[in-house]
Amino acid sequence: MKLETTPKLTLFHCLNSFEETSSQIDGCEMKTVRMACSSMTKDIHLLKAFEAGADAVLVLVCPGKNCRHAEGGLRARKRVDYVKTILDAIGLDGRRLNIFNTTAKDKGSITEIIRNTIQDLQTMGPNPALNRLN
Amino acid sequence: MITASQKPINEIIGLVEPYKKVLILGCGTCVKTCFAGGEDEVAVLASALRLSFKKMARSVQIEEMTIERQCENEFIQEASESIKRNDAILSLACGAGVQALAKRFVKDVVLPGVNTTFIGIQERPGIFTEECSGCGNCGLATFGGVCPVTRCAKKLLNGPCGGSQKGVCEIHPDTPCAWHLIIERLTTLGQLDSLRTYIPPKNWNTSLSGGPRKLVREDHIL
Ligand code: SF4
Ligand code: SF4
Repeated sequence: MKLETTPKLTLFHCLNSFEETSSQIDGCEMKTVRMACSSMTKDIHLLKAFEAGADAVLVLVCPGKNCRHAEGGLRARKRVDYVKTILDAIGLDGRRLNIFNTTAKDKGSITEIIRNTIQDLQTMGPNPALNRLN
Repeated sequence: MITASQKPINEIIGLVEPYKKVLILGCGTCVKTCFAGGEDEVAVLASALRLSFKKMARSVQIEEMTIERQCENEFIQEASESIKRNDAILSLACGAGVQALAKRFVKDVVLPGVNTTFIGIQERPGIFTEECSGCGNCGLATFGGVCPVTRCAKKLLNGPCGGSQKGVCEIHPDTPCAWHLIIERLTTLGQLDSLRTYIPPKNWNTSLSGGPRKLVREDHIL
């Protein structure tokens, strides 16, 4: 299903992987959720973001060893993978949820990640769990 | 604790599909510890079901609740109001919890949301191992606190089979040889001699093989 409305993105990020001031990217409506550490990425929050209307959810965490709490990024990745299996199983498509290692300074890479996500949504279409009732 | 794992989401969808109002009822004890049916798992499952039913354009109301223990009437009572206003209960407790609900709420539909697996422990975060088969006649004193009934693949009671290598059972490289562990432990305790005692064939009457069991405590019956 092609995307006819402005894509809605929810972006979860740890303190070091993204700066909210640079968050506005043309062509999408973006909500950002700041986490003190990527280990706070929880399955329920990711799913709730889809329930709240996100077409895609991104999780940005610091690269491997840069995590201040050592294993935060690893935990986040495992939880993202778990939620992807749920999304696949219920037909929402696990590709709507992705995790990337970024540093706040590298604005170019972050913009590219967001642009690619918007582009992927053009083929995936909107969140299929929305606006089906009434 | 009793361990369990959540049923595949599509099986759960199939179970709850006929109903319009579903209560997902978690249990805050064993199944919470093994990440199958505590408050967090109830929330994740509820969210996944809501998304799934919305995608199917189906209007199903999902209510969430977790009680301390589903196998005790005292705690089950707390859920009675929620149970009344729903068409079906999807219990995330072990099989004992599901049946305790079914016994108490005779006219309500109670569905199992998890597969109950075994009596075990959390060996390290995220890894659970089976430790006891509830055989009804515990011999752990003889075996240095390691149960061969459960942890020896062949349930041998009089020493190892000869197939273990470097402390690992021949059935799988991930499975420690129970008898290796028993001997190590008895050596540490200085009780290796206890293995000289011949253990006769086990009487399985006290286990599930003798049919459903009942535990009676006369002093607690009024
Ligand atoms: S209902 Fe089952 S899972 Fe819950 S406390 Fe009782 S034995 Fe444990
Ligand atoms: S001997 Fe029986 S009761 Fe004791 S741990 Fe083994 S299975 Fe459980």
